[in-house]
Amino acid sequence: MATSQLPLADDLYLAAHDSARGRCLLTPTTLGLGLAAGLLAELVLWRRLEVQDTRLTVIDERPTGEPATGAVLEQMLREGQHRLVREWIAFLAIGVSTDLVERRLARAGIVQRKEKRGLLGTKVRFVPTDLSTAGWPGTRIRIAATRGELLDIPDLVLTGLVLATGLDQHVLVTLEAHERDHLFDQLRRRMPAMLQHLVGHAEAAVGDAVMARRA
Amino acid sequence: MPTTSTPARESQLSTALARDRLGVASVVFFVMSAAAPLTVVAGVVPTGLAVTGLTAISIAFLAVAVVLALFSVGYVAMARHIANAGAFYAYIARGIGRPFGVGAAWVALLAYNSFQLASYGGFGAIASPLFADWFGVEIQWWVFALAGWALVAVLGVRDVAVNGKVLATLLVAEIVLVVIFSFADLFTPTFAASSAPLDPSSLVGAGAGALLVMAVTGFVGFEQSVVFSEESRDPRRTVPRATYIAVALIAVLYAFSSWAMISAAGGQAVERAGTEGPELFFNLASDRIGTAALHLGHALFLTSLIAAMISFHNIIARYTFSLGREGVLPRAFGRTVPGTGAPKNGSLAQSAVGLVAILVYAIAGWDPLVKLFFYGGTTGGIGVLLLITVTSAAVIGYFARNPEGEDAWHRLGAPLLGTTLLLVVTYLALTNIDILFGVAPGSAPTWVVPLAFGVLTLAGVIWALVLHRIRPSIYAGIGMGARSVTSGFSLRDTGAEAAQ
Repeated sequence: MATSQLPLADDLYLAAHDSARGRCLLTPTTLGLGLAAGLLAELVLWRRLEVQDTRLTVIDERPTGEPATGAVLEQMLREGQHRLVREWIAFLAIGVSTDLVERRLARAGIVQRKEKRGLLGTKVRFVPTDLSTAGWPGTRIRIAATRGELLDIPDLVLTGLVLATGLDQHVLVTLEAHERDHLFDQLRRRMPAMLQHLVGHAEAAVGDAVMARRA
Repeated sequence: MPTTSTPARESQLSTALARDRLGVASVVFFVMSAAAPLTVVAGVVPTGLAVTGLTAISIAFLAVAVVLALFSVGYVAMARHIANAGAFYAYIARGIGRPFGVGAAWVALLAYNSFQLASYGGFGAIASPLFADWFGVEIQWWVFALAGWALVAVLGVRDVAVNGKVLATLLVAEIVLVVIFSFADLFTPTFAASSAPLDPSSLVGAGAGALLVMAVTGFVGFEQSVVFSEESRDPRRTVPRATYIAVALIAVLYAFSSWAMISAAGGQAVERAGTEGPELFFNLASDRIGTAALHLGHALFLTSLIAAMISFHNIIARYTFSLGREGVLPRAFGRTVPGTGAPKNGSLAQSAVGLVAILVYAIAGWDPLVKLFFYGGTTGGIGVLLLITVTSAAVIGYFARNPEGEDAWHRLGAPLLGTTLLLVVTYLALTNIDILFGVAPGSAPTWVVPLAFGVLTLAGVIWALVLHRIRPSIYAGIGMGARSVTSGFSLRDTGAEAAQ
């Protein structure tokens, strides 16, 4: 079984960046929505959150001991009146999720801050320090699909979010039809219902952003 | 201000979301740029005068504005309650039934594509003489149409935000230009304040339906305000206000400029429109305005048509995208370009339709101004009128079953009044269709256009019933747009479908 090395949202961040030059393959909005769902999924995997239909429930208030998910959980506890999944995805997507994930990756030394001075001020970008690590999440899914191996739960969610954000056009494009079938079969049968719902909300949020011309 | 339930202390989440969302001005801008004012004032009005011979267009704009404002009361109210509020068929699917929703989706695709093709024809027909005048080169209209088409095709898969900024800048320039030219009309030597454009009796006379459809055509785009019902700062106020403001602004601008134009022609409006076509708007004002302004006006007319093309293209691509996400159309249409968020296959499909249409018109040698621009615009106008009418009825149907959260005026009063008036307008439109197209009663366009809409509706209904039988989960999600998947991850394999 292939193993995940990084937290789920970090893997998604790396999969969403061109491993050669560190360019983002998604629009900032779509990336934010995907990472928001990724962080929420991490909290589900930490057994802090549950997703029922359109709502979230905090089932364990103890901190995760990890800054990114910790910050989201803390905020959630402060804002008890907001429990809709889509509300949280929308809120985290406004720069919050990307910021949390970038900082977590920077702390781990996987990306580094690069400032680029242009005509209109300075642009801050995060680029992978090691390009082979950066390409790993995408490669891991592809290898598992090609070999017909089983993915673990975080990687199933990662694959779901890759599909929800449209990243599969980059990440899964080389797969053969039967390899895709195998992958989809796994997603349908092995991903817990709660996480399937969460990925579904992410997919809908991405679609709604396209309809509202915000993607 | 935050709109969700008020917490004891300020909610960071509500504040952040509210700050990120759109205000009234942004929505008005968006809606009006889809309406492309200069295209209507310089293009639709003179061509309409020439084809129909009717001059009471100002009062028609004002009357249609009142009807659309009434319609909007229930429309924007229902937009707060449903998913996928940007598309007419979502209202019809929820308010009347899913089969008619799919029928409406097909009708909408034909109507908006008609507008799209119309703007290619208009662009070609207007650019060709202008370039001959400016640079002394004779280039066929379809060369320009193809150039416009190529630009739209590229922008369609590129960054959507850039389009928005371009459209907004052009819109302001267009409105300023229409106002200046219309005031210039008042000072032309032939100006004689005419009461004909404002004659209310013409709204019940012969050709009333033709006038009303022309007026509806001018407003198309106003219905797009609801796209932002979930993205607006205050769902109860932003979109309704923006809709009423846009309808009122459009009505005043069009009514005034067409009155000024017809008055300035000193009783010769129909004759001059026949010989001068869209140049009428520019020729009338040219006495009082320097040639520089005239050239600028012409340039903006072209950009206005491009803006119309881009807007309609975006609308069509998103309709197709939404139907693809639901699975009503092949799933591949639910794909986007990851790097731009543009609805990829919907956009490419529209571009393919546009290319074929331009080539067919070019090879057949049909007149691009009347047969493409005016016929296309009119066909689209009839289609949108039908959609608005059915949507208005759907609003009543929806609130009859889900009355929560809206008062009687929003649920019933305004929609009932609006639907009644819209039914009258639709009846007049369909009975006046020969005048509208400027053809003999019983000739091809008078029955082809209604028949096409009828056949598409029927085909949509049948397709929905087929889905009900073979794919009940897709049927259940009709009208939900992107949200048709939230009952569980859709896990659709679009890549494999596209490869097949």
